[in-house]
Amino acid sequence: MSKKSVKGEYIETDTGNKVSRRSQIIGTTNIILGGKTVIQAEVIIRGDLLRTYPTSTAGEKQGNPVAVAIGRYCFFSRGCELRPPGKLYKGQFSHYPLKITDHVFIGPGSIVEAALIGSHVNIGANCVVGKFAIIKDYVRILDGTVVPPNMVIPSFSIVAGRPGRVVGEIAEGEVDGMDLREVYRAVGNH
Amino acid sequence: MSSKRASMMPPAPKPPTSLSSSLVIAEHASLTGTKLITLGSNTVIHPRSKLSSAYAPITIGNSCIISERSQIGIQNEPDEEEADPVVIEDGVIIEVGAVVEGKRIGEGSVIEVNAKVGRGAVLGKHCKIGPLCEVAEGEVLPDYTVLFGNGMRRIDNSGVEDLKMKMVARQVEVLRKLIPSKIAKFQ
Repeated sequence: MSKKSVKGEYIETDTGNKVSRRSQIIGTTNIILGGKTVIQAEVIIRGDLLRTYPTSTAGEKQGNPVAVAIGRYCFFSRGCELRPPGKLYKGQFSHYPLKITDHVFIGPGSIVEAALIGSHVNIGANCVVGKFAIIKDYVRILDGTVVPPNMVIPSFSIVAGRPGRVVGEIAEGEVDGMDLREVYRAVGNH
Repeated sequence: MSSKRASMMPPAPKPPTSLSSSLVIAEHASLTGTKLITLGSNTVIHPRSKLSSAYAPITIGNSCIISERSQIGIQNEPDEEEADPVVIEDGVIIEVGAVVEGKRIGEGSVIEVNAKVGRGAVLGKHCKIGPLCEVAEGEVLPDYTVLFGNGMRRIDNSGVEDLKMKMVARQVEVLRKLIPSKIAKFQ
């Protein structure tokens, strides 16, 4: 970080995202970043795995297809990967969008193929979040957990193990520590 | 930006390859080593997957899916003179970050996220190695074995392997549309 180069490690976008130059983002046009999100080195985001199954409702807005949607103040640690999940539905295989809301922390080396991650979710290091998992708000997933595919994790749970199980609850007082504004400020080209 | 990325690639000589014309191989996949790499038809190689034939040849069958960050091939110098070649049969899915050094991966097997298949291991047909599970060096797994959790195992006799093979084929069709193929770069 203290390397005195002309270019810093992070590219800062207009909306305050800090994206490492060494991240491996594929399909950038299909990724939405809400702003103030940090993407560290060697993070892979698979924006190219788009939904190929036609949307049923005509009312759905046209425009750029979205493979990965990310909210504000998210933090993706070194070497983690975000990958839209895929499944066979009505005889057709398709990937479906991966939605991540605000203040989501993903630890180093974790691989996430969830369908939805709620706000203030903390995923530890080297976790595997299975396809189409749904993680609600204020969830902590401890290091090395394997969240099985299609699991729905209720709010305020602590999840650990292989396969992941709910092992505890988050007390009301602990919730404050899951805000990622401070972490965001600490990262950058100092 | 793409020109800058390319310069970061090591200028290693290309390994000899035998690539099917219907192969889908992403530009950022890496094929390294000195021995022959054979890739069958309708196989999909995701970006950032690593195939290394430095110590033994690699053969991958038809309709396989090799995901990003997976490492195929013998990873470090073998103790004996010759390491067994890595053979992956038809319809095998290798998911993100898996390390495959096995001698034979049977038809329709699935190696899930960050799993490891040790050197010389033989997997039967339609095996499934769960996330973070490991197959020891030289281990032989019978057909339909499922490894899951902390090294637990069972035999899957649900009999849905035909359906699973169909699903792999569908998945390959979709990925063919999504991943631009750069076969010329590896020939």
